[in-house]
Amino acid sequence: MKTSSAYRAFRYALVIVLGLAMSIPLLYMVSGSLMSAGELASYPPTAVPQTPIWENYADAWNYLTPQVIGNTFIVSIGIVLLQLALALPAAFALAKIPFRWTGVVLAVLVVPMFVPSNLGLVPLFIVNFQLGWLNSFIGLIVPMAAQSAFAILLFRQFFATLPAGLIEAARIDGAGWLRVLWSIALPLARPILATFCSVSFLTAWNMYVWPQIVAPNPAQRVMNVALAPLAGGENSMISPAVGLAGAVIATIPVLIVFIVFQKWYVRGVVGTGLE
Amino acid sequence: MVENDAVTTLITERAAVRRNSEGSRTARRRTRGTRGDTWVATLLISPAILAFTVFAIVPILGGLALSFFEWDLFGTPVFVGMDNFARLVTDARMWQSLGVTASFVVLGVAPTILLGFLLAVVVNVRMPGIGGWRVLYFAPMLASAAVSAVLWASIYNGRSGVLNQLLALFGVMGPNWLSDPFWAQPALVIIMIWSALPLVIILYMAALQRIPEDIYSAAALDGAGKWRTLWSITWPSVRSATVLIAILQAVGFVGGAFELALIMTDGGPLGRTESLALYAYKVAFGQLEMGYSSALSLFQLVAIAVLVLLGRLVTRLMRSAE
Repeated sequence: MKTSSAYRAFRYALVIVLGLAMSIPLLYMVSGSLMSAGELASYPPTAVPQTPIWENYADAWNYLTPQVIGNTFIVSIGIVLLQLALALPAAFALAKIPFRWTGVVLAVLVVPMFVPSNLGLVPLFIVNFQLGWLNSFIGLIVPMAAQSAFAILLFRQFFATLPAGLIEAARIDGAGWLRVLWSIALPLARPILATFCSVSFLTAWNMYVWPQIVAPNPAQRVMNVALAPLAGGENSMISPAVGLAGAVIATIPVLIVFIVFQKWYVRGVVGTGLE
Repeated sequence: MVENDAVTTLITERAAVRRNSEGSRTARRRTRGTRGDTWVATLLISPAILAFTVFAIVPILGGLALSFFEWDLFGTPVFVGMDNFARLVTDARMWQSLGVTASFVVLGVAPTILLGFLLAVVVNVRMPGIGGWRVLYFAPMLASAAVSAVLWASIYNGRSGVLNQLLALFGVMGPNWLSDPFWAQPALVIIMIWSALPLVIILYMAALQRIPEDIYSAAALDGAGKWRTLWSITWPSVRSATVLIAILQAVGFVGGAFELALIMTDGGPLGRTESLALYAYKVAFGQLEMGYSSALSLFQLVAIAVLVLLGRLVTRLMRSAE
């Protein structure tokens, strides 16, 4: 379609203005995190802090302690690794190894997707309680990593696209299935691994309800559980600016992962088949 | 989030399977496999399936079973038959929270779809540096529920919040958003729309890129204007994406309403933001009534199923009316 240059300029401006509108709450978060409580409440509102108050970050540090940040990394990375360990072999077998029950297994994986997660929440908590996993890293990691249907289906979809000849050739050369998975399929799977790791890490990092229920203790407390009380209402003693500083701290790792993995992350969200 | 992604993957996978049905016919001939193959496959699949069964399937079945019991987590569960459901029907708080859940979905889904579609159309354009600007549209994805809660609690703060300072510039005296019985729910819905938009934009962009270019040239030849083209050509062309997005968002708003309200309003003021999921959560972890909580969750599942069926019926009627 031919378009006039005036129209193109209008479109360009529209893209920028609406994009800024979408991201302005986050820009406000960064800017507000450096204001004093008084400046945050000032009228007329200021866009940029007059003098940056770095103390807000020092105060937020009291809630989001290094231990909390460390815990969040342990839990998020633990979930990603355990999911990889569970899902990769299963997905490979479901895609490439002749097996009678493949259809049954896939059907079982799909069932919980149509059930709202809160139906399983109470019983899942009870399972954790019975196993003695409350306030433990294993209780934070294992039950969440076990919800691996997305991972299995994603990897299976990828493995299914590998040419049969490639795998048969290796098999004829005497390679076992595990060797085919490790030496042939996995090296080819790097893009899909990037997709999965970014989606899974961010999902784990952003968890709130599960850690709030099963591990409220300080020793296992994760970022969002520590951050939520800073969403103080009108009567909160904590300055909203400290809360904003905490929110910035909690978002930095997400931002890094997002920037590094943006291409793969978006691909994962769309689902690989849509390309 | 993961569940939504999984549904998307599943749906696209189904399409892929249909496309590759030629290949799978030959594959089916080989599905039985040798004894060695079966052994290895079982070995590779069972850890994942075992974990999945214990932590995904059993809890769902457990939830179904628990709804017929009374249990405080520490004593012995007592079988009470249909008592929990009888109680549920006469529970005024349940009906209120059901209404709250429904209005979260009703207030949220349509604007999310419409805004997401329009924004996707806006950013789906080839121009220098578009990639960098597009990232701005994905920014809300960075904020977890807790981060969103902290951020928007500060924005909505009645005394010091930036929203009321901005309104004051126009001489409007803003309410105490999160503690105002009328405004609390719309305030939460706005946060949820903001958080949901990136995913919707991405899905619509993918759908837009699959529309063949020549449809547009044909429309241009017929003299259709841009606005006309948008609604008569683009919008109907992405209908299947719209259906998928509507389902994802309906489920998403039920879940999002729970998480945000739990952090920001605890269901208040006057229960105006207490969705069914949040009520069930409080019954379980506040009152330790595991059985009644499960019955509430089960009822929510049934309510959603009815909603989905009604939605399908309506779209089918609309289609036959066309």
